[in-house]
Amino acid sequence: MPYGKQPPEVHEKAHVSVGGIDLPGHWNRMFGDRTITDYDTSTLDAITDLPGGESLGWCYQCAKCIGVCPVDIVGDYGPRKIHRKVQTGVSLLDDPDLWLCTTCMNCLRVCPKEVDMIQIMPAAREAAINEGKAIPPELQKVFEATDRYGNPLGANPRARADWTKGAGVPVPVMAQVKRPVDVLWYVGSYPSYHPRGIDAARALARVFTALGVDFAILGAEEKEDGDSIRLAGERGLFEKLAEANIKTFAKYTFARLVVFGPHEYNAFKNEYPKLGGTWEVLHYTQLLAEHLDRLLPLLVTPVNRTVTYHDPCYLSRHNGEYEAPRALLRAVPGLTLVEMPRNRENGYCCGGGGGGMWLDSFSRDHTRMRLSDRRVIEAAETGAGTLAICCPYEVSRFEDAVKATGHDGRLDVRDIAELLDAAMRPA
Amino acid sequence: MPSDAVLVLGGGPAGLEAARGVADLGHRAILVEQRERLGGQPDAAQYAALTHGMRPAEEAIGEMVAAVTGRPEVEIRLKSGLTGFRGSAGDFTATLATPEGAREVGCGAVIVATGFQHFDPGRETQMYGYYEYDDVITLTDAEKMLKAGKFVKPSNGQPPERVCFIQCVGSRDRQIGNEYCSKVCCGISSKQAIEVRQLLPKAKVFIFYIDMRMYGYWENELYWPAQEKYKVQYIRGIVTEVLKKGDRLLIRGEDTTMGRPMEVAMDVVVLAVGMEPSAGTRAVAQLLGVRQNKYGFVEVPPGSLDPVATSVPGVFVAGAAAGPMDLNDTMGTAGAAALRAATLLRRVARAGAAAR
Repeated sequence: MPYGKQPPEVHEKAHVSVGGIDLPGHWNRMFGDRTITDYDTSTLDAITDLPGGESLGWCYQCAKCIGVCPVDIVGDYGPRKIHRKVQTGVSLLDDPDLWLCTTCMNCLRVCPKEVDMIQIMPAAREAAINEGKAIPPELQKVFEATDRYGNPLGANPRARADWTKGAGVPVPVMAQVKRPVDVLWYVGSYPSYHPRGIDAARALARVFTALGVDFAILGAEEKEDGDSIRLAGERGLFEKLAEANIKTFAKYTFARLVVFGPHEYNAFKNEYPKLGGTWEVLHYTQLLAEHLDRLLPLLVTPVNRTVTYHDPCYLSRHNGEYEAPRALLRAVPGLTLVEMPRNRENGYCCGGGGGGMWLDSFSRDHTRMRLSDRRVIEAAETGAGTLAICCPYEVSRFEDAVKATGHDGRLDVRDIAELLDAAMRPA
Repeated sequence: MPSDAVLVLGGGPAGLEAARGVADLGHRAILVEQRERLGGQPDAAQYAALTHGMRPAEEAIGEMVAAVTGRPEVEIRLKSGLTGFRGSAGDFTATLATPEGAREVGCGAVIVATGFQHFDPGRETQMYGYYEYDDVITLTDAEKMLKAGKFVKPSNGQPPERVCFIQCVGSRDRQIGNEYCSKVCCGISSKQAIEVRQLLPKAKVFIFYIDMRMYGYWENELYWPAQEKYKVQYIRGIVTEVLKKGDRLLIRGEDTTMGRPMEVAMDVVVLAVGMEPSAGTRAVAQLLGVRQNKYGFVEVPPGSLDPVATSVPGVFVAGAAAGPMDLNDTMGTAGAAALRAATLLRRVARAGAAAR
């Protein structure tokens, strides 16, 4: 086989049903020529030469990553496998594997060689985009919508603060308050537009108000933070969004930036400073946990539920916050917190990070189950009736997964803000 | 009559260091070397840079030779060998064949430092074609080229585009009879791979291995830089055979990480040959009556925490005569053997003085 050609694929599906008869993999395997006839290392050089891609060449095949890779459990994919495929001449820029990583960071946590997929994948994706490679159409649509409307949902930017109308409490907007505030609440795209996100946003507005937090939002001035756009490879768009947001933030005086979502948290804490925008950033669970003594007397109504908590990758592994959400859940009267086997540092990814939020159809073609489905099954196995979350990506993913895995009516998905809000309502 | 001399057999790194140690401790050393010069394998096989530290071998060995040369305590006997041995600890008599004829020397202790020889890949089942194909070479052959500052296809003198190393040649093999790991070859291959990449930045270099055995700091000082900085490609799975295809070599085996057969063209194939007891080690062990293990190395009593002991009191072993060993361990055992030998001489001398 000449240089640069893709090695032959062995076509095998884990399960094929023919006329109602299930055939396991080895019965449906289509044998191609399986011989490796060249190690065309130019494909590896193509990645390791990218800024951020260097460490793909460091893998020594210990395979520790595979044990914790959320994608390998539902497919045949993992960092060390990518290293080997690329070492045997596969072009990552042309391979579906390029889009399967959710940048959940569990591989990097356990990697003895510090092969950093969190750097490698965005770098490779950016290169693929720059080289005009085919990118999944659903992702392309999100890039375009975000560029045009400032949110990945393609919703009307002027309607970004419409959710506040049903909050039941006043939600001040920075442009109108005309004074410094303690907390600039960056709401985020999904809590602003997605129906279930809106539920959580309204709940959090009520919790802030009850607690006497001096806050305001940006309203229509707010744009998508862009961190997942960046991780999906569109660095140019990320920078454009970041510059717009930094400019808006700089217009106002506030003590702290409080975010709803872990991805925004990561953006403002770790990425915006590189572009000149540095503010103190808190995830909303951190702000509330700070005021736990004042919050406790407000939680008057028992929420008699067994709850399990899903650690969002970008709050937990990426940024080290494991306890604030749990402290809030434990503060809710009547609530019993149980842990899933994979929790905290080893939390299992919901599939939404690194652009995965916008790649569900693509992922379906390359995995046997969505990560969110896998996680919901794990949540249900704890016996919990509620899956508690604090990442706005998750509510739609997990509620869909609850239905898909047949747990409808047995497991519900609630943002921690919603659970606190419920406990604050008079019985 | 008790002797204050230590007979050191072998003038390689172990023997040089043992003789220096004995002399530094105030005793006499008789250093016997069969070649016409000191230095052992690093000198005889023309090593380029020493694995671990990358110092030029000539310079390092030269320092060791200088440390024993011209010292009144060290009697150097080149082109000489042991032919007879009798006596007991503290009072041995050794017969040496020297250019001046047979000589009997008295010694209180003996240090065996007769070392190893490189595995001869022709002794194997010939699947790697060492004697058939010019471009199949050993680590030792590669060292000679690297020492001369070049790395070429021996068949045509041109720089190779693709070079691979095949690990564990003559080691870890029941059929060959060498069941042990030779310890140093993974490191030496990685070192040479770095050197090849330095000389030929355009060459692709591959290492085929069962498992990379990089003891201690060799991991971070050789393996990791080879992979990360010099982009040497490490591929798990040992090549089974080498075939000739045109003017290139076709290596065949399995890429075990991919679970796929492999058939890849190379320009130069370097066989990572392991260590075997040298002919000198085998002969000397017989003459001294020290027990050898099943591979022919001098046996350190199993379970002993004395790494330089042998089955014969008063006879010690240093370096690769006792088994595969790198230079650092060789130096360590040589020092330990010198200390043990000197301790024995002093104990015998004290016992003699008390008896008088």
